[in-house]
Amino acid sequence: MKTTHLLKPALLIVLAMLVLFSAIGCNQNSPTPPNQPGESNSGNTDNENTGHNDFEVVITDHLNRQLTFDTPAENIVSGYYISSSMLMALGLSDRVIGIEARAETRPLYQLAAPHFLDLPSIGSMRELDIEAIAALDPDLVVLSVRLKEAIEILESLNIPVLAIDPETTDRLFQAIDWIAQITDTVDRAEQLKAFHNQKMVDVADMLQGQSPPTIYFAGNSDLLSTVSNQMYQQIMIEQAGGISVSQDINDTYWATISYEQLIAYNPDVIILAPAATYSKEEVLDNVNLQGITAIGNQRVYEMPYQIEAWDSPIPSGILGTLWLTSVLHDSVYSSDDFAADATEFYEIFYDFTVDPAAFTY
Amino acid sequence: MKTTKKPSPLTTKYIVLAFLLVMAFFLSIGIGKYPISPQDIYRLLTGGDVSSLTQSVFYNLRIPRVFMSLIAGFGLSIAGSVYQTIFKNPLATPDLIGVSSGANLGAAIAITFFAGGTSAIAISAFIGGVIAVFTALGLTRLSAEKSITTFVLAGIVISSLAQGFIMLLKVFADPEHQLAAMEFWAMGSFASITRDKLISILPFVLIGLIGLLLLRWQINLLSLSDEEGRSLGIPVGLIRFFVVLFATLLVASIVSITGLISFIGLIAPHIGRMLTKRNDTHTLVLSGLVGALLLIISDSLARSLTASELPISILTTFIGAPYLGYLMIRLRQS
Repeated sequence: MKTTHLLKPALLIVLAMLVLFSAIGCNQNSPTPPNQPGESNSGNTDNENTGHNDFEVVITDHLNRQLTFDTPAENIVSGYYISSSMLMALGLSDRVIGIEARAETRPLYQLAAPHFLDLPSIGSMRELDIEAIAALDPDLVVLSVRLKEAIEILESLNIPVLAIDPETTDRLFQAIDWIAQITDTVDRAEQLKAFHNQKMVDVADMLQGQSPPTIYFAGNSDLLSTVSNQMYQQIMIEQAGGISVSQDINDTYWATISYEQLIAYNPDVIILAPAATYSKEEVLDNVNLQGITAIGNQRVYEMPYQIEAWDSPIPSGILGTLWLTSVLHDSVYSSDDFAADATEFYEIFYDFTVDPAAFTY
Repeated sequence: MKTTKKPSPLTTKYIVLAFLLVMAFFLSIGIGKYPISPQDIYRLLTGGDVSSLTQSVFYNLRIPRVFMSLIAGFGLSIAGSVYQTIFKNPLATPDLIGVSSGANLGAAIAITFFAGGTSAIAISAFIGGVIAVFTALGLTRLSAEKSITTFVLAGIVISSLAQGFIMLLKVFADPEHQLAAMEFWAMGSFASITRDKLISILPFVLIGLIGLLLLRWQINLLSLSDEEGRSLGIPVGLIRFFVVLFATLLVASIVSITGLISFIGLIAPHIGRMLTKRNDTHTLVLSGLVGALLLIISDSLARSLTASELPISILTTFIGAPYLGYLMIRLRQS
């Protein structure tokens, strides 16, 4: 008897909850089904018309998820530095309503978009705050593919997420193209791409007949951590007319070597990654490294970090190649030439002027 | 008629281990990324003609590195053997009373707040290890029950707290650099060992080693119960304090420049006991020799298996974990 008494209210509660959840479920759009096998994959876009009434963009992102947008995204959340930098380069700073944690540590934000520092934080790559994103009610969230689980949760909340993996220049511009289409800023993306391509052609022309020096690219936490052969910096070194001494290390991340290995590499030039925790003076004075060509010729350089770290696939990544070209081949491309190009880049795409002296070394 | 006296089994074990250690040492000084041929080594040792760069690599990097792996293996194994004896726990390691966790926290603090310079990391790790153990000792003194169990519990409390702070630092660390540096430090490496670094820790290592060897008889007596020790006239509390102090000095100074090295302090004492079939001073020394041998071999592999350096704990874990499994099975069978 007692059981029957309890059963009735319990059943009523369950029924009420079912009705409530059904109502919520009906109000949400069902997520777009994933790409079918055989369909065109990454980069498959269909921007039928840039007029907002007929606006429709279909994108298959780097997680192979198909996304459809029928209006340009106006309220955007950026999950990490690379996507934030892309949004700024496309002139979309004012549409960004939420940003990754530790924004105050990025010099670029202070220079190009100071209001970023006051935006709500949505956490970091390690601890993404899904509720904070949901509270902002964005119509586009740009996240790294590494946050697959969080992306699935956001998708279940009907929040559109573009998953990107810009680990190479091609994939970077692919992601920039997608954001440009979703936000109806395709012309700006084309301008960015044209700048990059033109500078690449210029560098290739300048390097004709130049002999390539050997480069040791040191990580910023330790002189003995270096780039492995599947890292972006390897491409940058090649583009700048150098040969990376650590190209035999087959990995995707920073590798640790010994002093002996560095001496055996005997590089012509040593480059310290941006924001290195040690100085070039410490490297030059290191008694264990005396005898290395780069040390003997005083050719140790710290990659600048006054604005951003150019040794990663970001919209200004071309400046990393240009800076390195000026370091390795200053007879054909001087530090003044580089400073002029870097100043021009930030004026065009980030709308601020820097003192060219910040780029000289 | 004159009969030749056969060496005792224990002496034979000393001779074999010492021979293997010398062999491993000389093999190890021939292994490295910088090409130094056996002829070069001969010329270097006999004062022959070699380039100044080869000389510098050999005396400033190669020899100090091999010596460091020998010292680290010897020191960590002796410390492990001492901990296992005085805590009457075959699974006791330097981390049991918080020295490794404290050193790890010290290194993480230096990486996060002091720009992660190598000297800053070493000093901070050393201080962290020592503070952790003294805090555990203080906690034990505050407790009404001053038994070994209380001390071990205090060590667990301090280790857990240190781990908690490390996790906190990791949350706020820059994922690309600071976090990677913390993770790498916790895996140990001899890649950045130089003569200067070796010299900087040598006094602490020697004080720790000499202190433990001078207290070798008392350490054996600490393996008895506290009551038995007191009945033999030993100031148990004081001796235990000094033993822990010397062992801590030894471990903290080693890990401050190498990072954490897993399993050596656990398995070498077991092998030492297997060799002597008892638990005395010979076990202590043989454990040290076994540890030195294992770490020289592990480091030789760490610097030669791949194009980059492998963290040393990967290799010591691959040696240690299966051995621990073997011990578990043997324990169950017996």
